[in-house]
Amino acid sequence: MEIIEEKQKSISIFKLNGRLDSNTSQGFEKKIFDAISDGSKNIVVDFRDLDYISSAGLRVILKATKALNREDGKIMLCAMQDYVKEVFEIAGFDSFLSIVPTMDDALKGL
Amino acid sequence: MPKKKHSFELKSKISELDTLCHEMEKFGRSLGLSKKCIFEINLALDELFTNIISYGFADEKEHSIKITITPQNDMLCLCIEDDGLPFNPVDVEEPDLKRTIEDCKIGGLGIHLIKNLMDEVCYERCGRINKLTLKKNITATDCG
Repeated sequence: MEIIEEKQKSISIFKLNGRLDSNTSQGFEKKIFDAISDGSKNIVVDFRDLDYISSAGLRVILKATKALNREDGKIMLCAMQDYVKEVFEIAGFDSFLSIVPTMDDALKGL
Repeated sequence: MPKKKHSFELKSKISELDTLCHEMEKFGRSLGLSKKCIFEINLALDELFTNIISYGFADEKEHSIKITITPQNDMLCLCIEDDGLPFNPVDVEEPDLKRTIEDCKIGGLGIHLIKNLMDEVCYERCGRINKLTLKKNITATDCG
């Protein structure tokens, strides 16, 4: 999986490309927690080019969201393919995560 | 639709998830399954495989996990066999989905996904083998 990290003012943006599974979730976890340790409080994860997610990927999103909540920060998830979004829904994560259609919506939500 | 069954073996290491994905995509495409359907089958097998190699073996030896896929009329039958500790995912309690984020635990979520993505989940212990059979209806509107 390729992870592109960008900064827009105080917002850290992670663009995921490929597959987020038990093989790749540790790499993503390290990147997102490095950003949180460096003081990032507002994070956007762009799912547009993500083809696949398993519970290992959900775990990283959950852990990062909990960490940001403790810091009064916020995480927005955007541009998911329908079947990726379905995984969040089956897990019941859509009730407490902010999942929005586009990057613009995500940036406005912060 | 080809009626032939397809089987392959995965070694007990996490990098084999790529082999699983490759095998499922190749076979799914040969059956003409939709991207969503291939995704759901791949996810169910991934969650099960990851569970088996994370918790299934008491030793450090390399084990094989055998996957057999058989088209049966409207259903795709997926059989997963491993020689690990006895484990029946059908008996695993469903996580409470009406919880707050702080109460939310990731444990048990993989099994919950499998049960929701598949139409039937059936477990048998055959001697020293765990045999899990998953069935997925592949004629549903968005699957097939």
